Amino acid sequence: MREMNESVEPPVLEISDLRVAYGSRTVVDGLAFRVDRGEIFGLLGPNGAGKTTTLSALEGLVKPLSGRVVVNGVEVQRYPIEAKALLGVQLQSSSFQAELSIEQIVKLYAGLYGVRLSRAQIRESIRTLGLGEELGKRFKHLSGGQQQRLALFIATIHNPLLLLLDEPTAGLDPQSRRTLWKRIEKLRGDGSSIVLTTHSMEEAQAVCDRVAIIDHGKLLTLGTPAELINKHKDDPEVLAVAHGAVTLEDVFIGLTGDEIRD
Amino acid sequence: MRSVIDDRNSAARPSLALAMRSLLLADSIVLLRSRVSVVLSILLPIVVLVVTTFGKAQSRLGGSDLVIGLALILGLLTSCLLGYSLTLAHDREMGVLQRLRVTPAPTWMIMTSRLVVQVATNLIASAIVMIVGTILHGLSLNAGQYALILAIAVLGAAMFLAIGQALVGVVKSSTAINAIGRVLFVILLLLGLLGGSGILGDTMKTIGDWSPVGALMAFFSSVLSQATWSAQDGYSLLACLGYIVVFSFIGIRWFRWDAQ
Repeated sequence: MREMNESVEPPVLEISDLRVAYGSRTVVDGLAFRVDRGEIFGLLGPNGAGKTTTLSALEGLVKPLSGRVVVNGVEVQRYPIEAKALLGVQLQSSSFQAELSIEQIVKLYAGLYGVRLSRAQIRESIRTLGLGEELGKRFKHLSGGQQQRLALFIATIHNPLLLLLDEPTAGLDPQSRRTLWKRIEKLRGDGSSIVLTTHSMEEAQAVCDRVAIIDHGKLLTLGTPAELINKHKDDPEVLAVAHGAVTLEDVFIGLTGDEIRD
Repeated sequence: MRSVIDDRNSAARPSLALAMRSLLLADSIVLLRSRVSVVLSILLPIVVLVVTTFGKAQSRLGGSDLVIGLALILGLLTSCLLGYSLTLAHDREMGVLQRLRVTPAPTWMIMTSRLVVQVATNLIASAIVMIVGTILHGLSLNAGQYALILAIAVLGAAMFLAIGQALVGVVKSSTAINAIGRVLFVILLLLGLLGGSGILGDTMKTIGDWSPVGALMAFFSSVLSQATWSAQDGYSLLACLGYIVVFSFIGIRWFRWDAQ
């Protein structure tokens, strides 16, 4: 995990008073946080808490009712194209044109991000992903782990400043999950900042420098995993659900409740 | 790997020309690999052209100019109304459009690329159908007439694409779009052919003449029969342009990139 120093640099991402509604239902309600350069930031929350909607607002997919989203000084709502050029995005369910081969998908997305790659460079990069045998295959014919590797590669094809990953390890086996964690660490090492959503507290503790727990679109708490445990370990709601030493999951359940969400 | 966005701190705008080229290439591959749509938009009209060379079928349908016009319209209708709208709805449902939308490519570019590739394919298909039609039915056209027919084919493609876009705009599910598209296909065809023929009465003839298929049929027929420009052609052109404007507005205003 990275040594966090109090940042003097401007944040890579700054969200202030973000509000998003679908019709009359408010999904994100006054959310505010910042992500520093080289930081891995986890967005935790139960189903329907507003995690994906928050990411959608960052990606310019939904229009907020109010608030600002600024990526490296570029306001997403005012300059969407410039902001999108700074972002790498892996959606919760990434899908590519079923008729295109892997090689053609890489060529397409490289072009969309303004990256000029020769055929040899594309093939070499696909080989480094361990998909050399699958060059001519269609996306839908890849395994879950292979699809995930390709989706992450495409999200980082332009060397983005900020990478947004929506539940990147959902449905992966433990080996693929660990491999992905290493890739995320490497991307941070290469200079990217990362915002990821996850349901896995193990993942949040293993990968994230700081996490924010949100529910009903509101920020409940924010800090390093160790800080959150320390801050909430004596809360009655947290103690009520803890079995032995308080964990991040106890804090999460204590703050968001134990009812099942759909 | 080297990125053209070398300075990570800058808010560079990636090359729009490169993005457009990449989209056009990908959309062309997708369309060519959607064999059913391509084959149907060429094969179906050619079958009509071949079948109508036997017996009295040609004269019953109103002559070779109407038969070739009908074949051209069948190709355009199949490819634009059924093929385009269904592919767009499917891509929306699968999240392909959302994935494209988070890239720096402007949304107008994503849609324009698809439409350009679709119109270009329709143009090639129409040229093939027209050449086969004139050979089979013994028509001899000059270069100007060929050019005029291709221009009308582009107009027809734009009109049926606008209708397809409106369909995807107001209906979310691809299954429903598939079903409604087929029904619409039959209704438009019958309205244009039977309504326009006058066998269903004067009111239906007027409706048929002003319908998308009827208006386009009148255009094709005028050019193929080498008639001079008439008031009816002017009305047909107005009708086609009207349909393009109205259905494009509906298709853009109510279009959603996400099926949910």
